[in-house]
Amino acid sequence: MSERVTPTRTAAFEARLKKRYAAERRFKAIGLSAIVFSVAVLLFLLATMTINGIGGFQRAELRLDVDFPQMGLSLPPEELTVIEAQQRLSGQGLREVVQFSAEQTMGAEGAAQLNGEAWRLVAEQIHANPGILQREASFWLPTTEDLASAYAGDGQLELQPLAQDLAERGFLEDNFDVGFLTRADATDPQLVGIWGALKGSMLTMIVTLLLAFPIGVLAALYLEEYAPKNRWTDFIEVSINNLAAVPSIIFGLLGMAVFLTIFPSMRSAPLIGGMTLALMTMPVIVISGRNAIKAVPPSIRDGALAVGASPVQVVFHHVLPLALPGILTGTIIGMARALGETAPLLLIGMRAFVATPPSSFTDNATVLPMQIFLWSDEIDRGFVERTSAAIIVLLIFLLLMNGLAIYLRNRFEKKW
Amino acid sequence: MVMHDTAQSPLAEQAQSNEAAENVEPTAVKMRARDVSVFYGDKQAINGVDIDVYQEFVTAFIGPSGCGKSTFLRALNRMNDTIPSAKVTGTIELDGEDIYSSGMDVVQLRARVGMVFQKPNPFPKSIYENIAYGPKIHGLAEGKGELDAIVEKSLRRAGLWDEVKDRLQDSGTALSGGQQQRLCIARAIAVDPEVILMDEPCSALDPIATAKIEELIDDLRGNYAIVIVTHSMQQAARVSQRTAFFHLGNLVEYGHTSDIFTNPTQQRTQDYITGRYG
Amino acid sequence: MSPVLPLLLAIGLGLAGWLVARARAWTFKRAAPHGRIAALPSYHAWYAALWIVVPLVIWFLVWNGIQGQLVLNYVLASPEAQALPEFGLRRDAMLIEARNIANGIDAQVMNDGAYALAEPFRQAQSRYGLIGLAVSVIIGGAGAAWAFLRLTPDFAARTKVERLVLGALLLASLVAILTTFGILVTLVYETILFFGKVSPIDFLFGLQWNPDPMSSGAVDGDRYGAIPLFWGTLFIGAIIAMIVAIPLGMMSAIYLTQYAHPKLRAWVKPALEVLAGVPTVVYGYFAALTIAPFIRDLAVSMGASNASSESALAAGLVMGVMIIPFVSSMADDSIAAVPQAMRDGSLAMGATTNETIRRVLVPAALPGIVGGVMLAISRAIGETMIVVMAASTAANLSANPLESMTTVTVQIVALLTGEGSFDHPATLAAFALGFVLFMVTLALNFIALRVVKRFREAYE
Repeated sequence: MSERVTPTRTAAFEARLKKRYAAERRFKAIGLSAIVFSVAVLLFLLATMTINGIGGFQRAELRLDVDFPQMGLSLPPEELTVIEAQQRLSGQGLREVVQFSAEQTMGAEGAAQLNGEAWRLVAEQIHANPGILQREASFWLPTTEDLASAYAGDGQLELQPLAQDLAERGFLEDNFDVGFLTRADATDPQLVGIWGALKGSMLTMIVTLLLAFPIGVLAALYLEEYAPKNRWTDFIEVSINNLAAVPSIIFGLLGMAVFLTIFPSMRSAPLIGGMTLALMTMPVIVISGRNAIKAVPPSIRDGALAVGASPVQVVFHHVLPLALPGILTGTIIGMARALGETAPLLLIGMRAFVATPPSSFTDNATVLPMQIFLWSDEIDRGFVERTSAAIIVLLIFLLLMNGLAIYLRNRFEKKW
Repeated sequence: MVMHDTAQSPLAEQAQSNEAAENVEPTAVKMRARDVSVFYGDKQAINGVDIDVYQEFVTAFIGPSGCGKSTFLRALNRMNDTIPSAKVTGTIELDGEDIYSSGMDVVQLRARVGMVFQKPNPFPKSIYENIAYGPKIHGLAEGKGELDAIVEKSLRRAGLWDEVKDRLQDSGTALSGGQQQRLCIARAIAVDPEVILMDEPCSALDPIATAKIEELIDDLRGNYAIVIVTHSMQQAARVSQRTAFFHLGNLVEYGHTSDIFTNPTQQRTQDYITGRYG
Repeated sequence: MSPVLPLLLAIGLGLAGWLVARARAWTFKRAAPHGRIAALPSYHAWYAALWIVVPLVIWFLVWNGIQGQLVLNYVLASPEAQALPEFGLRRDAMLIEARNIANGIDAQVMNDGAYALAEPFRQAQSRYGLIGLAVSVIIGGAGAAWAFLRLTPDFAARTKVERLVLGALLLASLVAILTTFGILVTLVYETILFFGKVSPIDFLFGLQWNPDPMSSGAVDGDRYGAIPLFWGTLFIGAIIAMIVAIPLGMMSAIYLTQYAHPKLRAWVKPALEVLAGVPTVVYGYFAALTIAPFIRDLAVSMGASNASSESALAAGLVMGVMIIPFVSSMADDSIAAVPQAMRDGSLAMGATTNETIRRVLVPAALPGIVGGVMLAISRAIGETMIVVMAASTAANLSANPLESMTTVTVQIVALLTGEGSFDHPATLAAFALGFVLFMVTLALNFIALRVVKRFREAYE
């Protein structure tokens, strides 16, 4: 047979084909580089925070040897609180004792760089372990911020020889700072901690969860299971969809104008912060809840109705338990977003300097992202590392929450 | 409806009315499949199929759902490549050239072996752009005039020109189902392929649209080798000259369409065309 | 009144009611012929518990709202209050300190006069605390009595309880509408107040933004021209950020859905989710600490002497990175919504993958992608922390990305975290800016959601 030459078998076609394949390779390479870039940015961000942040979990400390039996301090009675014990010991001249011992061990220059609050730590240890007073004891105590930056290689140049000298003699070291996780905010980066902010975050999140979760789930159930198809329902739906996409700062304006007007004495309180964030989180829970409820097949509802269950029983006995993993996933994601949120809280005044961890929902408090924001504004070098360390703590919490959500999603994802 | 006497069935009558065409000796084997098996992961969908597809003939693949006829069809232009777990063994030749060999380019192969799908799938573009898509990507037209000519020729061949010539810029998805399917056929022939594969092209259409497509297939036969998968035995009998009966991934019987429908050699074929199962 | 105690009281009474009602229903059930009553005992129990708890909680909320005022009135009427200053900050501070002393809160006391006031506070609080408690017990008892009197063997407790549950569901869904209304009313009200002082034309079309929260006296409308803010917002959020986010997000989505090996996808998708989950304050810190100085140094080394360390470019770039996962997942969803038949149809014509993507899939998915980009823009212009930390507070109308610029959100934060009083035009201006931001994002979201929805339906 004489072969018909179709246009797709010509040399021109094949030449063009080469070009088309080159274009294909280029396109694929561009796609891959977009992904590589995105992942690289993520890794770079995490690496920057980690490298800076590791320093934030440490602090420069000076070794102090105190020969207590010689100092004539008497034991504070055991029933005193730490603060009272500090006051008693201070009255007995503990501060002078510490200063004197420091001068003796590392000289006047070194002693001048012992942190002004160092004696409080000594007092705490005496309170915890009164036996110390009977013997010679050695402590690692924070330096001043000036010496700490000199030791880290920048800051005041004139202090660097001193830092080097002290380090060589074994009096100056970077030690892991457990207190960073147990203290609250302070003006001296050597003495700050994130427990205050962390506790504020927890209290705020409890309020958010208690409000947003029940309201969100009930609203999702109503819209998905009972709502009649009418204008009102449409309006509710549109409201929820839009609220989920409204900038968070708008919720801050609402919280400021409404909640702070009703409760003027509660500026900075976790209660108000939690209420504001709940308004923001609720639509997220409603939307994910509706999707989870929608995924429960109608056959389950029909089956339950057929054995005589009332519509309320069908929903609460059958639909809700099956939809719960999906709802929880959405809730965790919404809560993770609320935990990282700063802007609305900025407006309702949770940017106060809070030196004592809040003990109730109405105390002045700040939250972890806000603490990061506040520290990022500080000029002291020490705060850069502390900020990054706080970021690491925040990211760990968020990763745990998101990981839990992904796990739940994969574990309970059902195909009907 | 169960018919035991196949000689009297309308099916057989239709097959016989086609006999003049099918008794012409085939001029050339266009595609040749030898010992072809297709696997999806561990599951074997096609088991050692041998078949010849002839130039200027319509070959029909029939068989119950899930018998592997569509899978085999997709192996003929390597559409199975788009399914990551699919694997094809054996040889399939197009004009004597193995289409799974490294020398065969899949883009060129698919340009030579066109395909029409079960559900009409016009692109969400204008009618004109749907037809012009293939010639444009393959660079088959120099300038607008040539492209216009290809579009018009393809639409005329697909019998759609008179219906759409005044609205070439309308969306292809706005046409009726039958028109959409003819648009897809026109789209396939716009790149001037050698073989056209049709995967149940009428299953989503009403009887009138089906009749039009069948007419079209008969008209196109003169220029291409056509392979059609169908679940309708009447359709196979009406349009094809060769019929292959697939069952459970095996090619049970292959031969002249009239023979398959009047004197099947295999019991299974007999059972299927008389409606024992399917 | 601390909120824990009344809550415990309500829960305790409710639980008691629940148990008693259930026991009573069981006695009906045992006495009834065939052991049948109109509703399960647990519904009787819930009926009683709800009648106790719901009125109590409502009462607590009301009482909580008015108790503070009652206590204050009592204190002000006391003879000790005569020593208070007539009005002003000192008066408020003394009252707060006195209350703190009375409550035993260990806070600083600046005004010695507060100690004298602490006693009336203590009296008032114990007095109103007792009143509140007594009324609570009466309300709880009345609710319980009402419920128990109605419990009979043929009482349809279930229907009653279910009606209440449905009511609760409806109420919960109304919270969304209340929030929307709350936002609108707040913003509109404050904006109207603002426009009473500064004309809307000056605000919307003025080119100078230089409000002074400390100023007093006549309001100078020329200081409230918001055009530079709108420009800065658009330039950073809708131009620079989108130049980064759209191509990178789109290409990531395309590569992940069309080319990537499933194993790569299994790693990269969660990584992008992590990128999306990083709080904006972290991005802001990253922008201010790392990116902004880098860009300034780079620009200076290339000869741009006026490069700012608070450049629009730094904020915009980081914001773009933040938006990448969002664009990527929207594009991913849109492309996935295009039927497989389209892709097959194109590949069967002999198109290469990238021809299929560029000429068939992306055009088919375009409405969804456009909707996604609109949502991304709405998110970028409403983003606050990145710009607060990395952009400037000084308004600047310029097209040079290396210069500093400010945005609407930065100004809202700056104006509201300052010391200005609540009715100062600078404070009100923040709400007017919020109103503009809300309306713009609302419009973007509304249109985008419509477009996306219609697009989804087209392929279903």
